[in-house]
Amino acid sequence: MLTQIHIFFILLCENYNNIMNNYHSISRQEWEKALSHLINNYHIYAPVPWGETQDYERIDDDSISDIIYNRPKPATPLKTFFLPIRENVVNTEKSDKKRIIMGIPSCDLSGINIFDEMYLDDAFVDPTYKKKREDSILIGTDCHTTQENCHCTTYGIKPYPMKNHDLTLSLSGDTIYLQTHSAKGETLIEEIEKITTLQDPTENEIQEIVDTREKVEEELNTKNRDLPNYRVTGDLINSSEDEIWKKYSETCVSCGACATICPTCTCFLLLEKPGFEKVRHLDACQYPGFEKVAAGEDPLEELYKRFRNRYMCKYVWKPKKFESIACTGCGRCIEACIGNINKNELFLELANK
Amino acid sequence: MKGDNIYEPIKAKVLEVIDESPTIKSFVLEPERQFYFKTGQFIEVALDGIGEAPFTPSSSPLVTNQLEVTVMKTGYVTEKMHQMKGGETVGIRGPFGRGYPLEKLYDKEVLVLGGGCGFAPLRSLLYNLEAEQEKVQKVTFCYGSKNPQECIYEPYINELRQYKKFEVMRTVDEADETWTEEVGVATVLLDKIDVNIDNSVAVVVGPPIMMKFSVQKLLEMGYTDQKIYLSMEKNMSCAVGKCGHCMMGEYFVCKDGPVFRYDEIKDKPDIWK
Ligand code: SF4
Ligand code: FES
Repeated sequence: MLTQIHIFFILLCENYNNIMNNYHSISRQEWEKALSHLINNYHIYAPVPWGETQDYERIDDDSISDIIYNRPKPATPLKTFFLPIRENVVNTEKSDKKRIIMGIPSCDLSGINIFDEMYLDDAFVDPTYKKKREDSILIGTDCHTTQENCHCTTYGIKPYPMKNHDLTLSLSGDTIYLQTHSAKGETLIEEIEKITTLQDPTENEIQEIVDTREKVEEELNTKNRDLPNYRVTGDLINSSEDEIWKKYSETCVSCGACATICPTCTCFLLLEKPGFEKVRHLDACQYPGFEKVAAGEDPLEELYKRFRNRYMCKYVWKPKKFESIACTGCGRCIEACIGNINKNELFLELANK
Repeated sequence: MKGDNIYEPIKAKVLEVIDESPTIKSFVLEPERQFYFKTGQFIEVALDGIGEAPFTPSSSPLVTNQLEVTVMKTGYVTEKMHQMKGGETVGIRGPFGRGYPLEKLYDKEVLVLGGGCGFAPLRSLLYNLEAEQEKVQKVTFCYGSKNPQECIYEPYINELRQYKKFEVMRTVDEADETWTEEVGVATVLLDKIDVNIDNSVAVVVGPPIMMKFSVQKLLEMGYTDQKIYLSMEKNMSCAVGKCGHCMMGEYFVCKDGPVFRYDEIKDKPDIWK
């Protein structure tokens, strides 16, 4: 008779086998050739240089060689593929091709969790979002370097894909390693195999990938060792006084950049379009009037309350309601703030009080 | 919802527009198909190309071929609604959210407290209680309004006064020579009511300031937090727990509310704003 423990071991072994078997390798040159074929059947998006930074662009034959591998991170978060700045949610756009999105850092993949929980909620499935999720193949990337404000590991996210990805991609020297994680990923691998030959990497090669992952994770842990974790941050925010929010919001101009650029800010506004259509616009609680009612009351009238609201939402309220975390530690809000407001300085000040 | 799209309204024809007061009108709507809702749940009414706003129907949930919303002119969409004459087509989405806890009112002396246009969603509750009179001990309805002209649903008040189980009391902030009932803010009525508080549940709907003082007064009178229900009004856009506009602490008022028990929300920030 199989005991639960036996079953557990079988599952474990199966998992392990999977881990060994689901790696493939290919030379960069052959990979680029494969991409150039795939472009005929998919819209492929990948990070390419954007002046000093980088962002996702639709890839064509000319830009295949510009693709940035394993170096975080695109200026815009993955969420913009699923919750664009503006879109008609009644008369929806039909796309002729499915999408492959490449170069997604782990933080952004985890950022999708909260969207899935809210937008695919059984009671009210958001049809536009669902369709976009289904029609996208996500290729996650191992972060081989980190940016100044990266602090994913503080909130329990590894600097390599953990969830929501169909494939993981890692470039080492001139070899691309692909690891499959889903049926969608396997289908794509099969398609690539029709174009070119994939190799099975050696154990040593795989070990090298794993070692790099651990090294980067360690680096992040060391760099951010003083930052409070997600739960503690929530407690600190929840018990904080008004003063600190007034102080840190002094240079806030309510531009909403932090929320726009945030991979986990989910808010939007519906506008009416003739024909009983609705156009959804990205929105943010940082804008004045976000919670104002027609009769005039506005709980977020004061700037510091709006400023605090975003943190309460992410670290206190969302955790009470959802499984998924609502801050991934990507650091984009710090980089985007024209008022130079650094949330981590705020949290450290709270922690050291 | 039409098809599977939570954002797509069904059509409804405006059958009639009723002037309730200088600032309040009711709209009788005929949806393109049977429309079911529970009392206290709300709907989104869309004016084509203009805007959409949430309203709790003021009609009986037992009627499914028509429904009515009662609208005070307060903002852009409501102003446009007030320009309608009848015959127009609007969109409706819903019903949404959690309504009044009817089962918690059974066998109780129900105290219903309304202020201003807050009578609108409460009329739907009163219709429902009227139809189920045998299930409640009694219903005391207290209604406060700015002045006699702003007192809505006069005919329905008279109808309710016919029922043995219903007691209706009204007050206005500013009386005129025609007014024969109480004078003062809504809470003055609470000094006059005759209910057994231990066996009573209160439902309060009105402007935030009126709800705030009413709750204070009810607590002083001996109602516990768990026996007070409120219908909260918040900025809303999607009505389906996604857009974030209606958040009150961790609650999405559109989905978790709009009706809350007082103890569920009393610690949330700025609930009276
Ligand atoms: S926060 Fe972590 S996962 Fe995101 S880009 Fe930086 S290192 Fe990669
Ligand atoms: S109205 Fe959109 S979340 Fe409640």
